[in-house]
Amino acid sequence: MNRLKYIFCLIILGSVLIALNAAVSIDFFKPEPYQLTYPNYFGNRYLIPNDNPTTVEGVSLGRMLFYEKALSAGNKISCGSCHRQELAFTDGKDFSQGANGTPQPRNTMALVNLLWTRNLFWDGRAKLLEVQVKEPLSNIHEMNQPIATSIRKLEALGIYSEKFGRAFGDTKITEDRIAKALAQFERTLISADSKYDRYLQGKYQPTASEVNGIALFYGRPNAQGNIRSAACSHCHGGPQTYSELYMNNGLDSVYKDPGREAITGQDYDKGRFRTVTLRNIALTAPYMHDARFKTLEEVVDHYSDHLVKSKYLSPFLQNLSGGTANNQMNLTINEKKDLIAFLHMLTDSTFIQDRRFSDPFEKGSNYKKVNFN
Amino acid sequence: MKKIGTLLAALLLTTSIYAQQAFKLKVSGEVGTPLELSLQDLTKLPRKNAALTDRDGKVHQYTGVPVYAILQKAGVTLGGELRGANLSKYLLVKCADGYEVLLSLAEIDNGFTDREVILADTIEQQPLEATKGPLRLIVPGEKKPARSCFQVIEMVVGYGKE
Repeated sequence: MNRLKYIFCLIILGSVLIALNAAVSIDFFKPEPYQLTYPNYFGNRYLIPNDNPTTVEGVSLGRMLFYEKALSAGNKISCGSCHRQELAFTDGKDFSQGANGTPQPRNTMALVNLLWTRNLFWDGRAKLLEVQVKEPLSNIHEMNQPIATSIRKLEALGIYSEKFGRAFGDTKITEDRIAKALAQFERTLISADSKYDRYLQGKYQPTASEVNGIALFYGRPNAQGNIRSAACSHCHGGPQTYSELYMNNGLDSVYKDPGREAITGQDYDKGRFRTVTLRNIALTAPYMHDARFKTLEEVVDHYSDHLVKSKYLSPFLQNLSGGTANNQMNLTINEKKDLIAFLHMLTDSTFIQDRRFSDPFEKGSNYKKVNFN
Repeated sequence: MKKIGTLLAALLLTTSIYAQQAFKLKVSGEVGTPLELSLQDLTKLPRKNAALTDRDGKVHQYTGVPVYAILQKAGVTLGGELRGANLSKYLLVKCADGYEVLLSLAEIDNGFTDREVILADTIEQQPLEATKGPLRLIVPGEKKPARSCFQVIEMVVGYGKE
């Protein structure tokens, strides 16, 4: 009988300890909110899902995962391989190569100011970073690794369990948590310290060429055709330098890549692609979804002189000439130079050197790279 | 064997990676009945004219369905119901290219205004051009045509929540 009592007492004591432990661990799970700082002129129409607030612990984990090669088949590449910080998170290639060596169908997009971006990929097929990041992780032509394998490899690395615990309350590694941490990190990639920002804040006096470039960029063509304009601002206007738009920008009249049409099934979306941010555009060559232009000069030449007229061409790129014979903008050599001077104002050297966004496994960092396999 | 080959070829010709879909106008949000209207469905609603000074500086005559009629069909609080808290509702109009414009419900309600905001399908009795149709919002009486947006695909009614 005494023995039974003893066992009973042990069970009670055990239960109390388990309950206490649970209470304590819940109490300990208080991730610190991450302060996202940006100028007022960016506005507050950002997108953070309620179930994934941005926290210091989540961002720290996301940064490690972003540079973690174990997330790819053969441990060859990480997100950071195709999204290199020094190139505003692009890689300078026409088409990045996946872990199996396959070139991607479209040019790698820059990761800049994604906190506000409501449509992701060139065709806008993902609306949320948490959804978007899952695709390259398991796509056979990108990181080419089933998510279950990635989870197993992260568990085996040992350094991650505690990080997941700090970010999400317990050490379990799941696909959703990987996606959430990556999304949190990507939301912190805010570029707001370019020469153009300093100009907007009244701290920089632009050169004559830059002033003229700004005027051309923001000038809106009128019916009389008497305003010199490069017609950029309908799509790229405002401090963010892009709007959430899909446009057919006159690259072709026959479409090898249907663009947005593949998502909506609507003929009028043929050859339409997302309007991308121009922030750090001088760093993110080559340009367009198919990387056809290698320099900003080629891009400006396209909009000025070579827009391909078709029934799908954006109405905002039609009738820009004020009635000249070839119906193109026909910018002068100097106007093109000025416009490009403005585009260079959008380069943010603070952003591309910010240690918070760099590879945490690099030499001198706190994290020791664990050799997997 | 030849038959199978022909069948396969026919199948390949008719199947593409992306299937063309019939156009539908969506009406959603704070509505009694969410709607997905085909262009055929819209022909059953009343039609009105509206004039708009376009970007070319000229006045054009558009014809189409009053937005009021579409929202009424969806059971939106208009007319006698557009009072009190319902006056803080808005209509967000979404376009195929991602462009969005906003109107307050009072701006399209006949009890508040005589101007007729329509979803036009013709200009000067001709179909709209491909980059602007099949449906264009016409907000007459404004100094700029910026709210008269092209290729409307969705109308969302919501509450201003601030």
